[in-house]
Amino acid sequence: MVGATAYAHEPVAAATRALDVHSVSHAYTLEGNPLPVLDNVGFRVEPGGFVALLGPSGCGKSTLLRLVAGLEQPVRGEIRVDDKAIAGPDPSRVVVFQDPTLYPWRSVYDNVALGLEAQGLLKTRRHRVDEALALVGLTPFKKAYPHQLSGGMAQRVALARALVNDPEFLILDEPLGKLDSLTRISMQGEIVRLWQQKGFTALLVTHDVEEALVMATRIIVFSDRPATIKADIPVDRDYPRHRDDPGLVELRRKILGLLGLEATW
Amino acid sequence: MTLITTILDGQESEASSLSRSNPAIKIPAVLLALAASASWLATAAVTYYMPDVIDFGRVPEFAALSILIAAALIAGVIAGIRQPALGAKVRRLLPWSLALGIFTLIWQLLAGKLGVLPQPFFPPPHGLLEVFTDDYPKLIEGVLASLRLEFLGFAFGAIIGFWVGVALGWSRTFGYWVHPIMRFIGPVPSIAWLPIAFFAFPSSFSASIFLIALTTGFPVAVLTWSGVASVNPAYYDVARTLGANERFLIFKVAIPAALPHVFVGLFMGLGASFAVLVTAEMMGVKAGLGFYLQWAQGWAAYANMYAALIVMAVMCTGLVSLLFKIRDRVLSYQKGDVKW
Ligand SMILES: Nc1ncnc2c1ncn2[C@@H]1O[C@H](COP(=O)(O)OP(=O)(O)O)[C@@H](O)[C@H]1O
Ligand SMILES: [Mg+2]
Repeated sequence: MVGATAYAHEPVAAATRALDVHSVSHAYTLEGNPLPVLDNVGFRVEPGGFVALLGPSGCGKSTLLRLVAGLEQPVRGEIRVDDKAIAGPDPSRVVVFQDPTLYPWRSVYDNVALGLEAQGLLKTRRHRVDEALALVGLTPFKKAYPHQLSGGMAQRVALARALVNDPEFLILDEPLGKLDSLTRISMQGEIVRLWQQKGFTALLVTHDVEEALVMATRIIVFSDRPATIKADIPVDRDYPRHRDDPGLVELRRKILGLLGLEATW
Repeated sequence: MTLITTILDGQESEASSLSRSNPAIKIPAVLLALAASASWLATAAVTYYMPDVIDFGRVPEFAALSILIAAALIAGVIAGIRQPALGAKVRRLLPWSLALGIFTLIWQLLAGKLGVLPQPFFPPPHGLLEVFTDDYPKLIEGVLASLRLEFLGFAFGAIIGFWVGVALGWSRTFGYWVHPIMRFIGPVPSIAWLPIAFFAFPSSFSASIFLIALTTGFPVAVLTWSGVASVNPAYYDVARTLGANERFLIFKVAIPAALPHVFVGLFMGLGASFAVLVTAEMMGVKAGLGFYLQWAQGWAAYANMYAALIVMAVMCTGLVSLLFKIRDRVLSYQKGDVKW
């Protein structure tokens, strides 16, 4: 990856705090009726973990991430960072959404600089923008505007926009869902490398079992809406992982079975 | 003839190689250039040699101007042989030059020389030229006065409308109080306020600024509001997770995201404000192009009225073009949309 060495001199803000999702339930109101989305979900993520959240579409994974990000408050239960309940968004917990949602009126550089600017840190930490751009290999495109980028490039910018803040928790909501399979595979590797290098805690929502298997140290499988935890599976394999690893293939069979798809495999 | 042969047989210039590869475009261009300059030469001849129905001044000057146009067209085509960029520009102008030449010729014949169009209501072209050459100080004075009034009213209206729109889009409390007022007053044509404004304000000038500001402000406020209201909520989520406060969300997210809408409102407001500008100048302000029109009508100076209309058209289209330029600059991140 381009420029990875440029970052090596930076202090690495490794995660030190645990994330505790504590019996969380959540519901939306849909046409006047309550729509239960999360039902007593609880799990704890140790600092530096890489947890994949796997579940059928519409079960409540994004909702859970919004709660972790602090964009919404759960109806019941609490999400804690080292025993302190999350009350609102904080730049130590940054989300990469499924859509890159870059601001079309900002150049690539200014999009990446967004977090520093919002926190009033742009003056002192401007160099971090260039480093983050180098990290995702987009330095030559820093003056481009979002409409000039491909889907994969836009998603990389979104990743750089998150990394520039050196988050303790990187929250990824199907960030690779819309990419072609080649770009997807290479970005899976890049994200894992960044996680190893920087030591943040990663929370990855995906509906792609293979993606969860090659990336995460642990996979939490959710039921249909309202989501409950169906299984919590450690993935004890070294990186870089191989898709054909018999251990992973065995795990895939098991997870697909949990998702009710064993017949197709 | 030499012109055609130069273009068709010229060997040295790079344009000539173009002409050989694409002669179908060049030959009509030459014919068109000849026809266009012929139409202007004919206009010059008719202007100079036929007697006027009613005496208007500036006959030789207008004839000279027509000859000048004819010569410029030919010169432009010849210069275009060496400079392809200029040539392309000139070729684009040729059809319009021909059409205007024929129009001016017919106009001159019907109005100035044959008296088919009743006089003095339809002055000939040199009658208009006479206004421009003899009355230009008054016209310039009128343009400056109109621009001043328009600028002040538009600026006030745009700024106030913009902030009202932002506040409507952002604050529920503000919306609760202001939205009903806007719904009640907004659709009333600003001109309806004119009689009240003229006695409620200390001067007709300040009253007119108020009316133009009102006309401009309403569409700007509505469009800014809808722009702020339709900002993709995910933009706010992104900024909030990155540590943005409310001020940042308004100034760095909502407003830039709403700007394309704001410009639609500015264009609507600008268009509507011209009507109020001219009406206000005719009804009370003793300056500006509207006042000039009124004054010309009082003196039955028909040529002056047409001349003022032309100046007004140039001024208004100039202001619209200026706003387009500003928009293209501010929204340069977008791909180019409508051309004015
Ligand atoms: N703001 C909202 N208002 C009402 N219903 C919502 C809202 N956001 C999500 N939902 C509903 O909650 C359920 C879970 O959504 P989501 O968390 O996005 O699922 P996932 O990310 O697992 O696909 C869906 O049925 C969705 O329609
Ligand atoms: Mg989702």
